[in-house]
Amino acid sequence: MKVHVDPERCQGHTLCAMIAPDLFTLDDVDGHSSAIDGEVPADLEAKAAEAIRSCPEQAISVIP
Amino acid sequence: MSTEPVTDDERKQNRYHFDRHTPEYREQFTEVTAEMLDKCPVAWSDTYGGHWVAAGHSEVFELARSADYLSNDHDPANERRGYKGISIPSPDVGFRGGFLEMDPPEQRYYRQALNPYLSPAAVARWTPLVDEIVRASLNEKIETGQIDFVDDLANIVPAVLTLGMLGVPLKNWDIYVEPIHASVYTPPNSPDMPRLQASRLAMREDMMGQLADIRANPRPGLIHALATAEINGTMPPDFELLGIIALLIGGGFDTTTALTAHALEWLSEHPDQRERLSAERDTLLNPATEEFLRYFTPAPGDGRTISADCELAGQQFKEGERIWLSWAMSNRDPAVFPNPNEVDLARTGNRHHSFGLGLHRCIGSNVARMVFKRMVTAVLDRMPDYVCDPAGAEHYQTIGIIQGMKHLPATFTPGPRIGDGLEETIALMQVLVDEQRLADPVTVRKDAADLK
Repeated sequence: MKVHVDPERCQGHTLCAMIAPDLFTLDDVDGHSSAIDGEVPADLEAKAAEAIRSCPEQAISVIP
Repeated sequence: MSTEPVTDDERKQNRYHFDRHTPEYREQFTEVTAEMLDKCPVAWSDTYGGHWVAAGHSEVFELARSADYLSNDHDPANERRGYKGISIPSPDVGFRGGFLEMDPPEQRYYRQALNPYLSPAAVARWTPLVDEIVRASLNEKIETGQIDFVDDLANIVPAVLTLGMLGVPLKNWDIYVEPIHASVYTPPNSPDMPRLQASRLAMREDMMGQLADIRANPRPGLIHALATAEINGTMPPDFELLGIIALLIGGGFDTTTALTAHALEWLSEHPDQRERLSAERDTLLNPATEEFLRYFTPAPGDGRTISADCELAGQQFKEGERIWLSWAMSNRDPAVFPNPNEVDLARTGNRHHSFGLGLHRCIGSNVARMVFKRMVTAVLDRMPDYVCDPAGAEHYQTIGIIQGMKHLPATFTPGPRIGDGLEETIALMQVLVDEQRLADPVTVRKDAADLK
């Protein structure tokens, strides 16, 4: 699986990077999130799911 | 978005007498919230000239993110549509409360000017300085075995940091703390009012002086960013900038104070959870912080004005109607939060609304989290057996504006001072701020404060 952050929805709450720092990076200037390119490692899939579940703006989705 | 014509009575059939400014609302918050969530997640209340109240999580989510239909604008001079901003009732003041009472695109220009000072990367640079102010604040009380966590810690650290980020001398913190803190909890008819008015005036004078001084002798910080910002191609007038500075100070001080005091009080009442948080802080501090934010919701909500007839969250609204978005009540929605009225330090899926939602998300959220965590962990380390005195703990009588505390006295086993006291430390930190230009935006300075 891959994860994607919708830049139109993200408002920089930063919970995703708090939960899964290896999967999400925050922009230095505005703190908005973007997901890593490529497949989510199998051992981080649960973290990815928790980040999706925790996003207040519901900005994160899974790309199969 | 098509709406069938219905009468106002039909639109407003979900009714609830909602008055968040009464002590009863604070005392019965859990019951009122459960009732509204169950029966009327969006309701019409006749209070304060009549307004909508949104309590349900999914309803607040949809409404707060519908900026095309909900306006934050405050227009006291009636130059646009005379909207009343984010407070219900609207205070009778002739100015707007910074960019929180603006709509895009104007609001966006301000946010873009200030983001590089308040992003996670920008805020992290200040952590070593915050640790010093926390250490020194605790030093003042550590040998006595007695502390008031509000007066002696949680009021001081957010204030000193906020002033540092603004570019205001750190030692001026006590000019600002009292008027900001007391303004929230002092009723208009209080005998304390004349003294409070005088302290407000002193604060406003200092603020205006700082703006003028920073214009004349530029030094880095949020005020410098504002003084040099082009907003939609023009330089904003001073009264607008003072509104922004007041918003940053009001947002930066008492909210974090309120969160910290409530969390420390709860941890004193639950010593087993306190030990667990301390022992497992590497994994537990982040979710526990979000849980305290959810449960105590220091800023309990925001008002908006409906800017066009619409149907949202299953409710028809008319242009010009006022609506209160309750972050605090939506944070207790059992549809999203199992056992919503319990604190679960390890809660997952914590999509709380305590920093708001959508394009007005609290611009200081990264500051609040960092300062809160540094204060709480320092207390856990240096006063691990503290016990709050319930008889001395004083909560705000009402939670309409901030769910905060006036006092939170505690006792603990005395310990040794570490390093300097508060006054000396603030003086040393001022040198650091100036020499290292800590208040520059993260686009200019990337490294954390170096204590040497």
